[in-house]
Order: sequence, then C-alpha cells, then structure tokens
Amino acid sequence: MSGEAIDVVLFAPLAPIFGLVLFWFIQLLFIEFQKGLLNQLRGTHDALIKFTNFIGIFFQTICHALGYTLTHSGISSFYLSVDYGKVDPKKKKSGVFEWLVNMFLFVGPFFLPSFLLLAYFFLLSESGLPLRAQEVFTFAENLIVFGSNLFQFTSNFVVFIGTIDLFHPAYAGFFILFILLGLGIRPSYIGKKTMEKVDIFYDLKNIRYNILHKPLYVLLGLLIAYLFSYVNVLFNQSLYVAVFSFFGWSSILAIFALIYAEVLLFWIYVLDDLPNGFRIIALLVLPISYIILRIVFYMFSWPLAAEIGFWGSIGITSLITMLLLHQLTNKFKTLFTLNSVPRMSGGKK
Amino acid sequence: MEEDELLDQEHVEEILSPHPLSFMGLQSLCIFLILWGLIFGWLVNFSDFSGPFNNNALLQIAVWSLVLLVVSVIASIIKVLWRLFFLYLAVVLIAIGCTYWLSLFESVSVFLPVYTVVVSIIGFLMVEWFRRSHKYIISNQRIVFKGGIITKEQRTLRYDKISDINTKQGIIGQIFGFGTIIPISQSGFGLGSDQSFAGGGVQGGATKKVGFFGFFGGGREVQTPRTRSYYELHGVYPFKDIKKVVETLVQGSVSTPYLQKQVEYQEEQRDFQEEQRDLQKEMRDLLKKQKELTQTIEEEE
Repeated sequence: MSGEAIDVVLFAPLAPIFGLVLFWFIQLLFIEFQKGLLNQLRGTHDALIKFTNFIGIFFQTICHALGYTLTHSGISSFYLSVDYGKVDPKKKKSGVFEWLVNMFLFVGPFFLPSFLLLAYFFLLSESGLPLRAQEVFTFAENLIVFGSNLFQFTSNFVVFIGTIDLFHPAYAGFFILFILLGLGIRPSYIGKKTMEKVDIFYDLKNIRYNILHKPLYVLLGLLIAYLFSYVNVLFNQSLYVAVFSFFGWSSILAIFALIYAEVLLFWIYVLDDLPNGFRIIALLVLPISYIILRIVFYMFSWPLAAEIGFWGSIGITSLITMLLLHQLTNKFKTLFTLNSVPRMSGGKK
Repeated sequence: MEEDELLDQEHVEEILSPHPLSFMGLQSLCIFLILWGLIFGWLVNFSDFSGPFNNNALLQIAVWSLVLLVVSVIASIIKVLWRLFFLYLAVVLIAIGCTYWLSLFESVSVFLPVYTVVVSIIGFLMVEWFRRSHKYIISNQRIVFKGGIITKEQRTLRYDKISDINTKQGIIGQIFGFGTIIPISQSGFGLGSDQSFAGGGVQGGATKKVGFFGFFGGGREVQTPRTRSYYELHGVYPFKDIKKVVETLVQGSVSTPYLQKQVEYQEEQRDFQEEQRDLQKEMRDLLKKQKELTQTIEEEE
C-alpha cells in the first residue's frame, strides 16, 4: 500500500473533523468572552442578562426536545422559564438513543440555531452554496477543500452582513435573528435557587462526560464517518467534506453573530458611564442616523445607499458616543487636560 | 388614596400601578400594525413585487385589508376575544372610508402605510392611558383596585374575604420582574371560565329512499382565575415582594390564629378565676377561724 493510499484510508477522513473542532473551539472562546461582558453588565442590566439567558435556555431546551423527537422517545412535558428549561420524554430510552439525546442537548445549541439561520441566509443570498469539487482525497486535499469552502462562505457572508439593507423586511428579520443568536447562543446560568454557572468548562465537562461515558458510540460515529468518506472516494464525490462544511459554516455564522452581539454589549457597557438622558440620546442616534442616511441617499439617488447607511450610522453613533464620553466623563481625557483640573484641598485632582 | 377614604386604624402599605410592559397583549396589536404598515409600504413602493400594485389602488386596499382581517381573526380565536376582530375591522373600514371620501386612490400606496403607523401610535397612547388609569392600594385591612378611563371602576377586597390567590408571570414578566396577582374572593369574584365545544355529524343510508342524518355535540366549562385588569393586581412590580406582602396580610387576617388567641385568652381568664376562687376560699377559711377565735375568747371571758 502506497503512502497516499494509507493517507486516504486512515488520515483523510479526519481532516474536516479536525477543522470543525477547531472552529467550534473558536466559537467557545467567543462565547466565553461574551459571558465576561455579560458579567460586567450584571447588576445594572439584569433584564438584559435574563433576556439573553432566556434565549440560551430556549435554544437548549428546543435542542433537547428535538433529540427526544428524533429518537422517537416522545415528549411528555416541556417547561421553559428565564432560569430553567426541562423536557421529559414519554418513554425513557437507554443506550445509543440516550447518548444521541445528550449530544443534542450538549452540542446541539452550538450548531442547530445557527444552522437554521444559515438556511435563512442561503434563501436571501444569491451566491448559492460555495462548495468546491475535489479530485484527490488525501488529508491535505480534504483540509484544503474544507478551508476553501469555509473561506468562500466567509467572503460571501462578510459582504452580505456588511452591506445588509435593513429597509428590506426579510433582511431586517435576518439581522434581528442574527443578533438574538449572538446574544443567547448559550445561557449564562441555569437554575433559580442554586445557580449553575454555564461557562466553557461546563460545556467541555458535559461533552467530555458524554464521550467518555460511551466511547463505543464515538467509535461507531467515527466508523460511519470513515465509511461515508470511502463511499465518496469510490464515487469520486466531495459530499463528505461538504457535510462538514455545513457545520463549519454554521460555526462561522455563530462566530460573526457573537462578534456583532459583543460589540452591542460593549456599547451598552460603555454607555453606562453617561447620565440617563444622554444615554437615551446615544441609543437613539443609531436608528435615527440610519433612517436619515437612507432617506438622503434615496432622495438623491446616490449609489451604495445600504452600505453607507449601515456603516455610516455605526460611525456616527461611535463618534457621538465618544464625544459624549469625552464631554461628560473622564474618559478620553489626556494627562494634559487632567492637569488643568484645579487641585482640591487634599491634593487630589 | 385620599386621607378621608381610609378606615379606622387603616394605613397604606403600597400604592401600585401596572408595569409599562404588562399590557403586552394590547401593545402587540399596535406593534403588528406598525410592522404591517412598514412592510406594506415597502411591498407596494420599493420591493421587486411592486409591479402588480402600481396604479391599482383596489388591489392595494384589498391586500392591506385582507392581511389585517386574517390576522385579527387568528388573534381573536387564540385569545377568545372577538373584540380584536372588530377593532381591526374598524381600522380597515375607516381607512377605506377615508380613501373614498378624500379621493386618495392616487396616493393610496403612501396613505395606507402612513395611516397604519399613525393608528398604531394612537393605539400605543391609548394603551398607555388605560394602563395609567389603574391604581392598586394595598392597606393593612384591604386591597382597593381602581381603574377605567371614562367609567371609573373600583373594587374593595378585605383580606378575610380572600379564599385563594392566583399568580401569573409570563416570560416578559420574568425578565422585568413583574407579574399578576389575582385574589379570588369567597364569592368567586376573580374566576372566569374557559368553554370548549365539539360537535360532529353523521349521515347513513346510501339509498335514495332510506337515509338518516344525525348531529351530536357537547361542551365543557372549566373555571379558571381570570378577571379584568382593574379587578386584579395586574403586572405589579416587584412581583415577588408584592406577592409576599399580600400573602402575609391575608395570612394575618385568617380566623384560625385569631381563634387560637381567643382560646389562650379564655384559658388565662379561667386560671385567673380559679386563683380568685382559691383566694376567696382562703379568705372564707380565715374569717371562719377568726370567728371561732373570737367566740373562744368571749367564752373564756
């Protein structure tokens, strides 16, 4: 057996799996960063924390319920609140079904909501599925094709989300769902009286337990992946990498959603330094500036209305926020301006 | 609550109003109107589907009205409240009337979206006015519920007349910390009913001469805690604290602890009377002894 054959048989099927795990881990890191931001807002924005938590619990509970439905366990009770979600099956199944349900519960929230949003994106987007065909099925080629698919998707998506026309109801709906996904992909805590903190370790611990608890099922999953890969090689198809690319795309979409949501949370955090009235002014600048820019560009028939409207309103909002912070707080004050502040009796400025 | 409205030894514990988001059911009707107004404006003026609507005022009015009426029928069925349908019907009829009398057929693609948004803003203001008309006064003796925009309604409920307390907290309530407390009185005030009906028919006999037709059906009524917003503590904030205050006040007025106190008092009285009786007996004995002693002294003399 030549080296390439060994590569195709043994290592090539692992390439997209490694790629996917890498992107999922990046997603986890962004989620952790977002949790940190939400923690900063705790106490001052409890309603926002509860809202994001509710979205996270909603996604998790829906994924759990989907797991029970797909394994034909049925659903006997469904409970959903701001702090806690619970689904009970009609018949409790064990073995591979129980394992699958747990995988839906622990891994599902990372991919399933973003998968639905991905479908919505492909409905809106005119670019089609950016899938590259392959002729060689080695580890390196699989990795390159996987990376290429992800890169192509990312370029399309960046153009789409950077030039989104919020005056179009379908696009505005997508943007709202996109932000909601970013805000609540995972809950911050579970439970009312005894709060269980949901962080990167919580997720990793659960997934590790599920994998180590039944390693045979993981091996079975790997075996199915290998068989699928061999069938692809046999029929000279690139479906194997394409399937993993779908998961990679949902992961990238989730990462972008998290970035947008984090910017939004950071803005809310920064605005806390301003007095109440000015905070509302700063908050209103974003939608008002967008509407004004769009109307002006429409009236004069200038090109790139959607793009300049979107980025222009963000720029104006950032500028006004910084100006307000400079004028009303000590933020952005240089040492020179601080030195000009008259000294108080205690020697403090 | 005015000073002169307070009863003897009565003091006010809390004065409450519903939370601004507690009438989300009504507000969502206005939100839908705003959304539909904006979507309709985009659909007939800017979208790729605007072609058939160009210079066709009747089609625009038909689509706009149809969507509103269909949504209102669905909302009425879900909420079991046909008032919603008639409300939207009125909105549709006024729009058609204005278009006809003001001859706005030429500019209906602008008029209808603007009209829808304006109506929804008026709706928001009316909901806010309605919300602000509510006032709940929790005193140490009773709860006073006040409400109504034109006709002022008031309900007074003494704590000893409350037989049951029902609480509701939706998702928005859980997020913002408000909820509804329905005190159910012993007379059943605060209870509504859900009614469900089912019916079916059957036709038998395939021949032309012989055949029969039957229809059967049935209904069911379930009692459920439900009342108007000015007869309950609707959307009060902070929900948990208010609930505790009300439950404590109700607990303090139930007859069992009162009766227990009475029994204790009576037992104390009984003990006191027994002590008095013993003292009287001792006194009697002493008097008797004194009498005997006096008699003995007199005999000796």
